[in-house]
Amino acid sequence: MVGLRRLVPRGYLFTVIGIAVGLAGLVALGAMAERISRFVEGGERFVRSHITVAGAGIGMGVGFTAGGLLPRAKIAAVARVPGVAAVEPQVMLPLSTSTSQFLALTQELVLGLDAGGSSVASVRELPVRAGRMLAPGERGRVVVGADFAGARRLGVGGPLALGGRAFTVVGVLQQTLTAPDRFAIVALEDARDLWLARDPLLVQVLTAGGTLDRDDLNSGVVVRWAPGEDPDALARRIQATVPGVNVTVPGEVSRVLRESTAFLSALLLGVGVLGLVIGGLSLSNTVSAAVFERIGEFGIKRALGATDGQLLREVLLEALGVSLSGGLLGIGLAVAIGWVVDTAILREGQQAFVFSSRLVLFALLFALVLGALAAAYATQRIVRLTPAEAIRRGA
Amino acid sequence: MALVTRGLAKAYRGADGRPLPVLAGVDLRVERGEFVAVTGTSGSGKSTLLHLLGLLETADAGEVWIGDVRASHLSRRAQARVRGAAIGYVFQSFLLIGRLTALDNVLLAARYVGRRRAEAERDALALMERLGVLERRHHYPAQLSGGEQQRVAYCRAVLNRPPLVLADEPTGSLDEAHGRVILEELRRLAREGGGTVAMVTHRDDAARAADRVLRLEGGRLAAASAATRPAPIGAR
Repeated sequence: MVGLRRLVPRGYLFTVIGIAVGLAGLVALGAMAERISRFVEGGERFVRSHITVAGAGIGMGVGFTAGGLLPRAKIAAVARVPGVAAVEPQVMLPLSTSTSQFLALTQELVLGLDAGGSSVASVRELPVRAGRMLAPGERGRVVVGADFAGARRLGVGGPLALGGRAFTVVGVLQQTLTAPDRFAIVALEDARDLWLARDPLLVQVLTAGGTLDRDDLNSGVVVRWAPGEDPDALARRIQATVPGVNVTVPGEVSRVLRESTAFLSALLLGVGVLGLVIGGLSLSNTVSAAVFERIGEFGIKRALGATDGQLLREVLLEALGVSLSGGLLGIGLAVAIGWVVDTAILREGQQAFVFSSRLVLFALLFALVLGALAAAYATQRIVRLTPAEAIRRGA
Repeated sequence: MALVTRGLAKAYRGADGRPLPVLAGVDLRVERGEFVAVTGTSGSGKSTLLHLLGLLETADAGEVWIGDVRASHLSRRAQARVRGAAIGYVFQSFLLIGRLTALDNVLLAARYVGRRRAEAERDALALMERLGVLERRHHYPAQLSGGEQQRVAYCRAVLNRPPLVLADEPTGSLDEAHGRVILEELRRLAREGGGTVAMVTHRDDAARAADRVLRLEGGRLAAASAATRPAPIGAR
């Protein structure tokens, strides 16, 4: 408190604290809105970045594919469709098979991909925060998403057991605030082993002498299109050309995603408006109250010869200084609250706040502009009084 | 610089909405170098008169001349300039700003008239030394005694060497010794500095320090009774 007193102009400490509290509310709510916004935007970007093809049927119903097994022959057929630039088979499994995990939005997934395959997968292009991505042919290694690592305190070189098998962490991804934050990425063959270990029926099918073998164990394939190709048209072409597959059309998935996240968007708008109203009212009320409190001082200054313009300039400068101090303190307070909450819930693989630079900049500008407007309004009200009346009211 | 009023009138609105006349046509003339005291009972309108003279309030009728300027009819901005350059005001309750030091309170008078701080500070320190509050220049008003606060307020009022000084019960909150210091200063200002000084007070002993004493009764000024007439210089 003593240190803060030194930073803030004398007589303004509680004004600064009042502004800080209001702005902390605005920034904290804004940071939650940013988090939701990133989630929705990230999902939109993700579904639009590729076409996913799965086998016909209800199949796994896991992650971002919906359908049955996609045998090797079908993948080859997909690759031959005009406009397809590359395909990459994948295995996507839920980390936990409990019903509650299936229903959770925050489901953790094991993603198996062919690290030596074609350079299709957007997953392999994800930024790595520590360590590296999987190398071709590498087995028993895993790259984990940021939330996955945070929830288990995993670091590069550390051990990780998946489905009873031992893996070594070779990389941790940067946080994306989207699905990959909860991925454990392993080699395609490792994922197939985990799948077989989890589903004894599949083992019987593979060993029964039928037409299926390990290479047919794919939960889907990711398709990247040739330059200039319309992804939605290509997805429909694949559906029409290759029988017995389920194709996700990026545009349609995006529309469905937008519809399903309409609630989140409305929530985002509500949170933003609420933050602006709470923060704005608190800030303008605090600043104007601080100016009205000094009504007697204004009377004295006018008695000493201050003109309306001089007083307004003086008050505006002080209001800007006080709003800036309160704004910075409020942002600091909000970041501290966000850090405490995120640290507590990160153990569950979650992050509730995103303090983006655009949010911080907006909050500061908001504080400065609103502080100046509130101060100017209060000053205009006061200078309408005669100096004697201002002195009387301030006494 | 002479101070002249003609037909100065002011009424306030009572609780029932009806006007309550306070000043009903005040004619006053205070010459350059003259120290005039205005006495009257509580509520007689002394402070209102001083506020009108100091352009702190607007009259309902009449005019105030400061020198050859009809100050009461100037624009708000021009009146502010006159207040800063030509009028020094000593308030009964000092009216120092609590978050400023004694020195900064004194220097406030220079801020709005465009004086350079270094030059104003030199004058302020000399004044504060003469009034015996130099040692207290870095103290805040709450850390000063009543007498010290009034001396600081006096320094602020006269920092710009205004030709007109208005004092509203300047000894009202002080003991006799501290009151005497302020009265001596006001008298000195008129005699040696050639300033025009108008003081309102309800204290007869304070009024006796002036060259001329007027009494405000029924909203008009009249000559004071013998009891409050100025004492000869030698008797002070």
